[in-house]
Amino acid sequence: MTPVLAQGPDTVVAATKRAGVRQVLPSMTPKLASGLIIAGLVILFGVIGPLVVGDPNAIGDVGLSGPSGTHILGTTQTGQDVFSQLAYATRGSLIIGFIVGVLAMFFSAFFGIVGAYVGGFLDDLFSLFTNVMLVIPGLPLVIVMSSYVQQKSIYLIAGVLAVTSWAGGARVLRSVTLSLRNRDYVAAAKLSGERTWRIMLVEILPNLVPVMASQFVFAIIFAILGEAGLSFLGLGASGALTWGTMLFYAQNGLALRLGAWWWFIPPGLLIAVFGAALSLINFSIDEIINPKLRDQTRSARKRWTLSEEQLKRVSVEDVP
Amino acid sequence: MRFYVQKLMFYVVALWAALTLNFFIPRWLPGNPVDILIAKLSAKGAVTAATRHALELLLGANSQEPLWKQYLEYLGNLAHGDLGVSVTYFPQTVAQTIAQTLPWTVALIGIATVISFIVGVGLGQLAGWKRGSWLDNAIPVTTMLQAVPYFWLALILLYVFGSLLPWFPLNGGYDVYGATPGFNLDFIGSTIYYGTLPALTIVISSIGGWMLGMRNMMVSTLSEDYILTAEAKGLKPRRIMTAYAARNAMLPSLSGFAISLGFVVAGSIVTEAVFSYPGIGSALLEAVQNNDYALMQGIFLFITLSVLGANLLVDLLYAFIDPRTRSRS
Amino acid sequence: MHSSNRSQRPSAGFVFVTALVGAVLVLTGCTAGSSSSSSSGSSMTVFNGATGTVAENFNPFTPTALQPTFGVIYETLFYYNLTSSEAKPAPQIATDYKWNTDGTQMTVTTRAGVKWSDGTPFSAADVAYTINLINKVPALNTNGINATAQATGPDTVVLQFASTSFVQEANILGNQPIVPEHIWKNIADPTTNINKNPIGTGPYTLKSFDPQSYVLAKNTKYWSSGQPKIDTVRYIALSNADAASAALIAGKVDWMSSYFPGLKQLIGSHKNLAYVNTPANTTELQACTNVSLGCTGAQTDVAVRQAIFYAVDRTQLNNLAESGFGSVGSPTLLLPDRDKSWISDPKNVTSPAKADVAKSESILQAAGYTKGSDGIYEKNGQRVSVTVQVISGYSDYISAVSTMTSELKAAGIELKESQVSVNESSANVTNGNYELSIANFGASVSTNPYYMYWQNYDSSGTAPVGQPSKGDGARYVNPVVDAALKAAAATNDPAVQKQQYALIQTEIVRDMPYISLFVTPTLTEFNTTNVTNWPTNENTYAFPASWKNWDNGIVLRQLEPRK
Repeated sequence: MTPVLAQGPDTVVAATKRAGVRQVLPSMTPKLASGLIIAGLVILFGVIGPLVVGDPNAIGDVGLSGPSGTHILGTTQTGQDVFSQLAYATRGSLIIGFIVGVLAMFFSAFFGIVGAYVGGFLDDLFSLFTNVMLVIPGLPLVIVMSSYVQQKSIYLIAGVLAVTSWAGGARVLRSVTLSLRNRDYVAAAKLSGERTWRIMLVEILPNLVPVMASQFVFAIIFAILGEAGLSFLGLGASGALTWGTMLFYAQNGLALRLGAWWWFIPPGLLIAVFGAALSLINFSIDEIINPKLRDQTRSARKRWTLSEEQLKRVSVEDVP
Repeated sequence: MRFYVQKLMFYVVALWAALTLNFFIPRWLPGNPVDILIAKLSAKGAVTAATRHALELLLGANSQEPLWKQYLEYLGNLAHGDLGVSVTYFPQTVAQTIAQTLPWTVALIGIATVISFIVGVGLGQLAGWKRGSWLDNAIPVTTMLQAVPYFWLALILLYVFGSLLPWFPLNGGYDVYGATPGFNLDFIGSTIYYGTLPALTIVISSIGGWMLGMRNMMVSTLSEDYILTAEAKGLKPRRIMTAYAARNAMLPSLSGFAISLGFVVAGSIVTEAVFSYPGIGSALLEAVQNNDYALMQGIFLFITLSVLGANLLVDLLYAFIDPRTRSRS
Repeated sequence: MHSSNRSQRPSAGFVFVTALVGAVLVLTGCTAGSSSSSSSGSSMTVFNGATGTVAENFNPFTPTALQPTFGVIYETLFYYNLTSSEAKPAPQIATDYKWNTDGTQMTVTTRAGVKWSDGTPFSAADVAYTINLINKVPALNTNGINATAQATGPDTVVLQFASTSFVQEANILGNQPIVPEHIWKNIADPTTNINKNPIGTGPYTLKSFDPQSYVLAKNTKYWSSGQPKIDTVRYIALSNADAASAALIAGKVDWMSSYFPGLKQLIGSHKNLAYVNTPANTTELQACTNVSLGCTGAQTDVAVRQAIFYAVDRTQLNNLAESGFGSVGSPTLLLPDRDKSWISDPKNVTSPAKADVAKSESILQAAGYTKGSDGIYEKNGQRVSVTVQVISGYSDYISAVSTMTSELKAAGIELKESQVSVNESSANVTNGNYELSIANFGASVSTNPYYMYWQNYDSSGTAPVGQPSKGDGARYVNPVVDAALKAAAATNDPAVQKQQYALIQTEIVRDMPYISLFVTPTLTEFNTTNVTNWPTNENTYAFPASWKNWDNGIVLRQLEPRK
């Protein structure tokens, strides 16, 4: 509950806006910094990599060989350069992740926020649709949808993954919007004659940004992992190069069993590293949504620069 | 009362929507089960036009009936519990195939999910309570484990612990060489042994989520007034942690747990593919690859029913445990 | 003041997990020891390609019956060895057969002294019953046998055909399992009965069944005395090549036929593992050739197909895609070694081993194609760009296609890949919705080329694009070939047939509706620790693949336990 009720509606809007922006940006902690740096490096590799490496599909008579001077990460079974493939695969997976993130965010925002704010029949309808989409089993639906189209491209896979993943986020956004709708400053804005879409955009949306950002990041992780799982089952965009399809070929080529770790480990490792970086970013977003998470963590305590004695006293006082 | 009626109405609608989708989706798959069976057979022996004709007669694949008639028949059959005959496992019925494979999946994934939930929530509870302890560092680590692609981790663990250091078996649900299925110690022990590595991989990859969710809820709950009151009353910290804080913090995790139980079947496909585990997920994969409409529909139906059932249970349970939800709507 | 509570009892969850771990360790200790089989006697384990769960079905008339039904439990009258160039079949439960002059009547002499596994004597009446049963119930007639039969004596049965039917010989003698009359006449619905207790003449009978593995036991009444020698055979299911390779190396499986890239490396250090390579099929690029039936694309021009044929480097393809296990095939789609006697023109015995880019380009240029600015040939604005469909699980074919893409690019032809599922692939080929498809053909029952040529080149099976074809997926229509096939079917004389095949080969080598690539390897892996007398490259007494119907019985009865 903000104590600014006493002031007029204009000041309410202004105050929320200014405080909103500063409030939304996270403070730079080591966790956030490392997350951003790692994610940034991976994205850079995916964007610039394909422009500098060689042809990922060029076969060579050398066959399966380990890291060497000419091939930094060795070659696949048909003599293709693993490092080049990795660069293109990074780009492919990032494209899928980004598309799914944006689409899922858009769908969940539309079905969650609009319905909840407008209320009435529209809310019931959207809520029903969201809940039905939520209970339809995702993976089997993805399997069936993706085997329907002949030439499976990464865009098709991204679309299919987006369609099956927005429902959860919509539900969360709906419940948050419902609670926000009843806040006093929204009532004040309505009373002062603001148009519905303006209220949604200016009052409600800024408060939802942290939640939506967290969902966006989650959706990216989900999309990349989902695409990897689909490709492993042989149902993904096996003609395109993504981390998932690289793992599919490595698995089919019995890479692990033949000891070709350079083919099997890097794609999975990149998924893990990128996902971990995104999780770290998500943590920081969590801390915005729930500031109590920020305090009292071990790393936070280190910054208090208390002495041993003082630290012990604090610990005893608040923890059994 | 009105609340419960509303909920049930929703579930009826959701069930109908799922059943209809279930009917149509397999039919949208390209290809014809007879063609696929013939393609498989041609690798093993002679395949002639007569073979194709005989197969079509056998499998009844050429249905000339209009779609809406098939749909009504389908709904009627469902009401009788007749799920049809599987093409892949002909002449075994779909119900038989599901009955054969479902217990393995439910046992393995179900138990693994339960363990993951209990351990995850327990650790999350401790992490939320004991701020500043080492558990705070465990949270990012376990959450990052969730970002690891599941099958990649499972394959590596299988290679390391199945082939390099042969501590665990490589494939299967039980020791086919030694134990005979039945209610005997050998068989039960064997199933536990064979299920350990798959269950372990599931626990490792999903525990982070439970921990994180529980910890965040604990931290929110701990700032509530009634916790302060309880402390002021002089209650033992352990009691506050479990009876007051955890009990309230666990609500979202509980609903998440029930929902994840509903997705046990859908989530088993990759696990069973990696460990050659004879469950319903691998049956689904075979069904998709063979255009086996009946089997696909049967398994989808099961997944949908279990998810719907879990959701319904959660909604009712939630309304029961947390009266605020009842009054709010 | 509450510091004493620091040493708190562990939470309930923790206790539960520790208890569970402890229980697992204890139980594994118990069960790990009892992994030896409870039954005495020699045993072996076979993996025949079964994935996932196993459905019980030993009905030899259904195509989904478990594979040992065909050959290990039930047998055929004769046996065709696909690895030998000997076209005549070996006697099994029949010893002799004779046609009348116009091919409308076949007399079969059955072997004396054969017993069913329940002790009842086998006789010609059972053969007659089987033939008449499939004639009466068309759904059971997967071999397309069109005959009625009558037993004229205890070991003679006469089959009557409506018209000249020499071509049915291989299916009747080598592909039709014979069932006991005294059991099957009492079965109400032979189309859906799963035949839980199969009674056959084969070397093994069913001992126990479980959805994850089933066990066969030696048939003590088997007609070949002294065989089989191995007491029990167990079949298991494994979900993918990785699981199969792990099981092989761990010594859990004695016999399997999986293609492993890098097989030599895999079993290199294991002295007791061996493999044998018995090629049976030819991999080729199937083309949708016929414009008048609706095919579209650059491959409808025979010049393009021939250009592709010469531009491919088969040695490199073999090395990269098949790890060197394949070999150069023949444009006649027959095997250069085994089928040499059926190939009339010595020039057509083998395809070129290396790429001949010059020849490929000259063929295109002679047909009026010119090289475009991007290095790809074109004519009348249409570029020579073809799409080839590959099944997405077939890693060797995927490697082959990516190799060919590079090779063809050097010759000015663009090859694009389309990965599809098994469903889509077979649907596309059946309906003609493809340009090129990488396919795998070979002799199925007998090595006589008639069957393969008829199935793939005879225009009676084809259909316009968009409608399902029964055969001839390439939509190839050639009256010369059709007439030659008819003539070959009308006779029993190999010399006459060879003349007709010569005519066919001239046509198909020129027109190339199927562009021959290489001979597909069939790798079979053995574990020689407990079992010996496997087929070897020098002595392939049977086609050794563990998934091969009929040969599986021949191999199993020859195997001996290692002392």
